[in-house]
Amino acid sequence: MYRVVRNNIIEFTGIMLIVLALLLLSFSTSFKLSFDIPPSLLNLNTIFLSILIEALPFVLIGVLIAGVIQIFVTEEHIQRWIPKNKVLAIIMSCIIGALFPACECGIVPIVRRLVGKGVPIHAAIGFMLTGPLINPIVIASTYMAFGNDFKIAGLRMGLGFFVALMVALFVSVIFKGKQLKSPIHTSTSQTRSKKESLSTRFWSMLTHSIDEFFDMGKYLVMGAFLAAFVQTYLPAKALLEAGSGTVSSLSVMMGLAYVLSLCSEADAFIGASFSNIFPTSAILGFLIFGPMMDLKNTLMMLSVFRMKFVIGVLALIISIIFMTIMLVQSFI
Amino acid sequence: MRFHFQQAVRAFILLAFSVMLFKLHFTGEMTKFINPKYEGLSQSAAVLFLILFIIQTTRIWTIKENSHHHHCHDDSYDHSCSHDHGDSPFNTKKLIAYVIIVFPLVTGFLLPAKVLDASIADKKGGLAVLTNQKSEKEKDEKPAPNNSQQKDPVINGDLVDLSRLEELVYTKDEYNQLIQHLLQSSTIKMNDDIFSTYYDEIQTDIEKFKGREIELKGFVYKEEGLEQDQLVLSRFLITHCVADASIIGFISELPEASSLKENTWIEVKGVLDTTNFNGTELPIIKITTWKKINEPKEPYLYPISVKIL
Repeated sequence: MYRVVRNNIIEFTGIMLIVLALLLLSFSTSFKLSFDIPPSLLNLNTIFLSILIEALPFVLIGVLIAGVIQIFVTEEHIQRWIPKNKVLAIIMSCIIGALFPACECGIVPIVRRLVGKGVPIHAAIGFMLTGPLINPIVIASTYMAFGNDFKIAGLRMGLGFFVALMVALFVSVIFKGKQLKSPIHTSTSQTRSKKESLSTRFWSMLTHSIDEFFDMGKYLVMGAFLAAFVQTYLPAKALLEAGSGTVSSLSVMMGLAYVLSLCSEADAFIGASFSNIFPTSAILGFLIFGPMMDLKNTLMMLSVFRMKFVIGVLALIISIIFMTIMLVQSFI
Repeated sequence: MRFHFQQAVRAFILLAFSVMLFKLHFTGEMTKFINPKYEGLSQSAAVLFLILFIIQTTRIWTIKENSHHHHCHDDSYDHSCSHDHGDSPFNTKKLIAYVIIVFPLVTGFLLPAKVLDASIADKKGGLAVLTNQKSEKEKDEKPAPNNSQQKDPVINGDLVDLSRLEELVYTKDEYNQLIQHLLQSSTIKMNDDIFSTYYDEIQTDIEKFKGREIELKGFVYKEEGLEQDQLVLSRFLITHCVADASIIGFISELPEASSLKENTWIEVKGVLDTTNFNGTELPIIKITTWKKINEPKEPYLYPISVKIL
């Protein structure tokens, strides 16, 4: 009885929503603004939407994959493979992170759970840094964003991996213990999910993807809008002057990567839009720093880890990326 | 039965994204946002949104008895999944989050797409970028003369395109033929499909093309530092989306330049020459005949792709 009612209600609601959307559509096509909008605002809007439209497919693929991982891969699988030796553990965790297609939006809670379950902190950091940076979607989007050329994508992955290794090594020397703000309670019931049927798990994977989309959607929209705003109102000449030298241009781009807090699946397109203003080394700084740590990510980490630890990791990441890029910039 | 308002809002947002993307495709406005080559990607995004919408509708109503544990798959683990599942009580923070996500939908439905104009050309650096591009190109050219595949991809990735997507794809032979054609023809016709390719060739070696006749169209862009009788005949080159538009254009010389307003589209015939602008040698078109035209249906240029394998 309930089921019949429920099914009908769902269909009814769905149809109502579709009708509402179609009404909106017909309203928008006949809609004329009663006042004139300055052309610069229309430019801003066009650029803003175009960044979003270009990024959305990648974000959707990203949240779907994140959903799959959240449901089908347990932390135990990963934990089992981490060796006792520190250096080996770091290399291992960086490789696992590289194979694990996470988004930086979702990786902080995963890392927290890993640490709570006894994964050493340096391994968790290695995993956190390579997870969002090195994965098929990021490679694909970087490859496409830079005119279907593999050079930037390859450099991004290679240098990023190196930076992650170095940061994790330093963390293993400097920080001990779990560094968590408060110990999390690991619940005892871990068997239920295995009993669930495949279809239930598949379904929850899809709903999880939706939640993930709404979680990061707002950051994506804000990032796209800020980027569009910069493009419409900030004259490139000012940027050219601010970033004429290698050091200053790298600083400008890394600062931008931090403030924009873009999703690693979409930031390649925004990085590419600066490619005729800044040298390749600065763009690389943007592409490597962004996924590892940004404003949004820092906030999320502060809610999990101790303040001292978060600032320490941030300083390590910044200085190591900076030095690495300064060292290799003459070769690229 | 319990009605979840937030889940309904989410379902509607997903649907609205799908409808917006489909609308842009069917009205053809999509080309004002992205390179048509990548339309397939955004079409699949629209389909994905539709699928997610259908899934989301099932969460709007739940049966009261087990509504508490129904939706969170993760409750079997320690619950640190940290996601907002749209069930927690509504507050200001969430309102802001929804407003932010709805914002692009509102502007996407209500505001018309605009073709980029001269003001953006200015913000993109205008002539500074044009001269900059050129000097960097020259630098790159030296170690690998007349081999476009070796150029820095950031500066002109347009020529180094590996993709095998259907549109504007040339094999290496065809590409070389194209360049040969450019080198031999007495009148250079800058059609949209080969505009950027020819443009790069001309920029690379101006001397080779000095004195040749050229035909092209573009919009008028002006900048301080130009003479009274000069303007920049410009086009935007879109690699992927409008956000990565870069300006390409020729400085042109015609007596009536000062009477022509920015953003006017003109079709010109002229002769290629060289000029010195801020210490850089740039090509200049001495215009012989010209006429005003309407903004073309496809105002943007897209780079051609060259198959390497």
